[in-house]
Amino acid sequence: MSDTKTRQAAQVELPFQIFAQPSEKLPPCQARCPNSGDIRGWLGIIAQREKNGLSFDEACDKAWQRLVEFNPMPATIGRICPHPCEDLCTRREKDGAVSVNAMERFLGDWGLARGLELPQAPKERYRESIGVIGSGPASLSFAYQMARRGYDVTLYDKDDRPGGMLRHAIPDFRLPREILDAEVGRILGLTKSLVRNVDVGKDLSLDQLRTDHDLIFLGLGAQAARRLHIPGENGPGVVSGIDYLRQRKEGRESACGSRVLVIGGGNTAIDAARSVRREGASVTLVYRRSDSEMPAAAHEIEDARKEGIEFRYLSAPTRIIRDGDRVRQVEIQGMRLAEPDASGRRRPEPVPGKLEILAADSVIVAVSQAPGWHDAGSVLHADEWLRAEDDGRLEEDLLAGGDDLGPGIASRAIAQGRRAAESAHAQLRGLERPRSKPARPEISRGSVRIDFYAERQRSPASRLPEGEWLSRPNTEIDATLGDRQASEEAARCMSCGLCFDCQLCFMYCNAGGFTRLEETSPGQYFAMALDLCEGCGKCIELCPCGYLEAREDAR
Amino acid sequence: MTLGDGARIAVIGAGPAGSMFSYFFLSMAETIGLDVAIDIFEPRRFCHRGPAGCNHCGGIVSESLVQRLATEGIRLPDCVVQRGIESYTLHMDVGDVEIATPLMEKRIAAIYRGIGPRSSEPLETHSFDGYLLDLATQKGARVIPRLVTGLRREEDSMRVQCADQFTDSYELAVVATGVNSRLTEMLERESGEFARPDRTKTFICEFHLGRKVIRETFGPSMHVFLLDIPRLEFAALIPKGDYVTLCLLGDDIDEALIDKFFSAREVRERFPDGVIPGHVCHCYPRINIRSASPVCGDRLVFIGDSGTTRLFKDGIGAAYRTSKAAAKTAIFHGVSAEDFGNHYAPLCRRINNDNRVGKLVFRFATLVQKARFARRGILAMTAHEQRQTDSPRRMSGVLWDLFSGSASYTDVFLRTLHPAYLGALLWNLVAANLPGSPSGNGRAEKGGHGHVRH
Amino acid sequence: MAGLGKNYKAGEVIFRQGDTGNCMFVIQDGEVEAIAESDGREFRLRTMGRNDFFGEMALFEEETRTATIRTTKPTRILSIDKKNFLGGIYEDPSLAFRLVQTMSHRIRDLTERLARYEQQK
Repeated sequence: MSDTKTRQAAQVELPFQIFAQPSEKLPPCQARCPNSGDIRGWLGIIAQREKNGLSFDEACDKAWQRLVEFNPMPATIGRICPHPCEDLCTRREKDGAVSVNAMERFLGDWGLARGLELPQAPKERYRESIGVIGSGPASLSFAYQMARRGYDVTLYDKDDRPGGMLRHAIPDFRLPREILDAEVGRILGLTKSLVRNVDVGKDLSLDQLRTDHDLIFLGLGAQAARRLHIPGENGPGVVSGIDYLRQRKEGRESACGSRVLVIGGGNTAIDAARSVRREGASVTLVYRRSDSEMPAAAHEIEDARKEGIEFRYLSAPTRIIRDGDRVRQVEIQGMRLAEPDASGRRRPEPVPGKLEILAADSVIVAVSQAPGWHDAGSVLHADEWLRAEDDGRLEEDLLAGGDDLGPGIASRAIAQGRRAAESAHAQLRGLERPRSKPARPEISRGSVRIDFYAERQRSPASRLPEGEWLSRPNTEIDATLGDRQASEEAARCMSCGLCFDCQLCFMYCNAGGFTRLEETSPGQYFAMALDLCEGCGKCIELCPCGYLEAREDAR
Repeated sequence: MTLGDGARIAVIGAGPAGSMFSYFFLSMAETIGLDVAIDIFEPRRFCHRGPAGCNHCGGIVSESLVQRLATEGIRLPDCVVQRGIESYTLHMDVGDVEIATPLMEKRIAAIYRGIGPRSSEPLETHSFDGYLLDLATQKGARVIPRLVTGLRREEDSMRVQCADQFTDSYELAVVATGVNSRLTEMLERESGEFARPDRTKTFICEFHLGRKVIRETFGPSMHVFLLDIPRLEFAALIPKGDYVTLCLLGDDIDEALIDKFFSAREVRERFPDGVIPGHVCHCYPRINIRSASPVCGDRLVFIGDSGTTRLFKDGIGAAYRTSKAAAKTAIFHGVSAEDFGNHYAPLCRRINNDNRVGKLVFRFATLVQKARFARRGILAMTAHEQRQTDSPRRMSGVLWDLFSGSASYTDVFLRTLHPAYLGALLWNLVAANLPGSPSGNGRAEKGGHGHVRH
Repeated sequence: MAGLGKNYKAGEVIFRQGDTGNCMFVIQDGEVEAIAESDGREFRLRTMGRNDFFGEMALFEEETRTATIRTTKPTRILSIDKKNFLGGIYEDPSLAFRLVQTMSHRIRDLTERLARYEQQK
């Protein structure tokens, strides 16, 4: 930074000069979002609406348009995403992360309430026909991205209704089905058709599909459940998490009895535990690691605890004890965490002699999912995950995304569907294949000057009173933010790495080196006149969001 | 238009003017039992090093201001005073002379407006502006960390608008943004009836020399240069803790001028081995060279640099005077244009009139800078005075007050018209320029320990 | 180096009763005692610390000091000269407010002491 220059004539060192340059950086939210959503961008449209002459309604419409560029189902994802985007939000250190997930949901509901339409496919259609197998988030995302680019898309699902895991495995109190129906319906509206009840490899061969379509996307999910492989596992009274949730979603009573053990620590385990709790059972969740290793979202765990679900950490079932057919007890082995292994994870290991018997009427096993497709030749082998390139490519005319590549969150599936579509489009049109990672560097911690921002507390969404959670088992617990809350929440975004018109540089440049642009938009507010710059570096030090930085080359 | 219980006042800018206004206003309100609230709008933080947390000036609190603040009960703590200054050393091509304070007492404070230059100063350093702001908040003022971008007159209030769309209305808006913010320019454009102050460019930079070197080469003395460089009115090196601040004032200081200044032998000699080190922080702050006009309106008053200030010297002293006068007017008279016109504007006029005299005095100083024989005369006269203990020190006093901003320019000017001063000057001009005169060249002795003031 | 005013060691006399002087003093740090001398005996009138004034009477009336001021510990003191002070008062009479307050306190203090003294007598 300190660039000193010697002038020959005077034999003295002249002041070093620090010249600024604007440089957009990747914010931590976007860097953490599996779908690389332009969170700062759509929040900025709302937060800076008045500066850009937009009303609240106009701004929300526009923000929704920006949001659905990458995610066509914001009302859905805004409800269920564990929102890694909030984990390293710069605001977290000050007064709590921006409620990105709640804002996404707000905009999602906004779009539904206002009947906003997804970007329309061009009237001119490409001749290539696209087949999509599955209708979960990856498939829907892929279908949407292809359809809006002008391709005819046909989806096939082995089920009667579209949505995949979103429909079958997420309880109503987290995702009302009307919301899912509306967002799925909106995407299907862009496609040619959905063929229902077709199981690939059984009802229809993959080869046949490859003849019918120019390009196939596999979004098969991971519909089989992993088993515990312990004695007593086979038989009534032991059910997998996804099967259990599916039954409940279909409105069937589960007959789990009054004491239920749920095995596992992921979101499916928590969802199953909370659902069965709503059936009146007393529920114990058994997890082999400790609470800090639990993969489920922290706020879900907290809510589960509030509902009276008991958590037993460092415990692994070793035997299911039956009386005849009926499950009576489960033997639990006490575990401890070993020293971190090469991957840094601390593996659980049994504590010798620490055994315990728990009474149970049934057991829900939600330890993980596995491939659940038929052996269909080519790339599809039973019990083997698909292995694809970064853009989802398996073969020339075959791409994949979602849980069939290994389990992940819905937002990742949407990202995989989108990237596969970008790649497929590039391939079909002979364009350069898109890069998978954003090119900009992530903003470094500390270049956002947190103390320049006024304190603004998070606006919490209203919730159903705790006493009603169990008595109204299908009612959503969290409400969507109101307009005012959303406006305030958007204003909390610090716009890390992109100008948001704080005006400090403009106001305090001694030389008056910044001029306001006539046409402004988030990130575009000022022009810098380098010839006026006096090199003091004040603007860089004042820039709260880290957008202005020092140029490497000095005058 | 008077302020009653529950009145709210917006102070825009937390430099010395804004903070002192808030402090005095709330103190007086407390004394007379008036329940009022002050919001100080300041988006910047004085705890940031370098230009971001600095309000850009040489960092001198004049002798007269130190004394007045002490009388007000405001003591500048040691962590704020980077160095107590007890003398001025005048450097000219014809020699140097040190002018001392009475009793060798440290009555001038060298301070940082922020907490020091870009690179580091020890942690115990505190910002002068930050200290004054703390005084204001201790009296109950609230700091709102927002940038004000507009002021709008409403029927019975002034509406403050911020960059982040925050807006609120107040019964009185006090503009204390100085001239290094754009707000006055924006207000000028929007209002059409207010002309912001005229400004000129100055230069300030910081050298890191370390405490030991500073003690040995600069001492508790401010080093002033009288050099024959066009457009340069005043140049000084001010020792602080580990740093020395260079301050160049004049007419639109630019790189060419700075270069010329650094090339001067008298300047280079001040630094170890005659080499001027690279500096760690610099800026070209603007100063007010002609008052805003008008300095007040209904529910609106401009204080400190954004209104009027003293030319070149003791701007913080002027901020003290204008802020207190504005506070008194608002408390005891009212907040209409007429109230401020009757009770606040006269002080501004007095300062402006004195500045006119100041311009004359500086023009005279420029003449001296240009003429070697005059420099010799002044050096001889001052050196002679510093050696005496009892005789009146007319030249020393004039120079002291001129450089330190301790007396009004009018006062300085009138003293230069005193026959005894003129006589002594004439005598010294002749004597110092006679061939073979001892004080004609080289270094004058260091001054004695007597009173320099008259 | 930091800090304003002039340093005095413990036990140093700033001025003596009967001295002439034309400035007031403000304690920056440390402590002084005001002593009245009568018939060769010393009476401690009061002690003063940081931010307290002394010698203020010389600003308003004759320039003879009415008490002796002596430091009780290392002390730093800033002087306020008459010309600067009166110049300030002329422009802004409220500058004297704190001084008047202090003097009023001292009169109250002395009155109380006098009353007690009369009672004891």
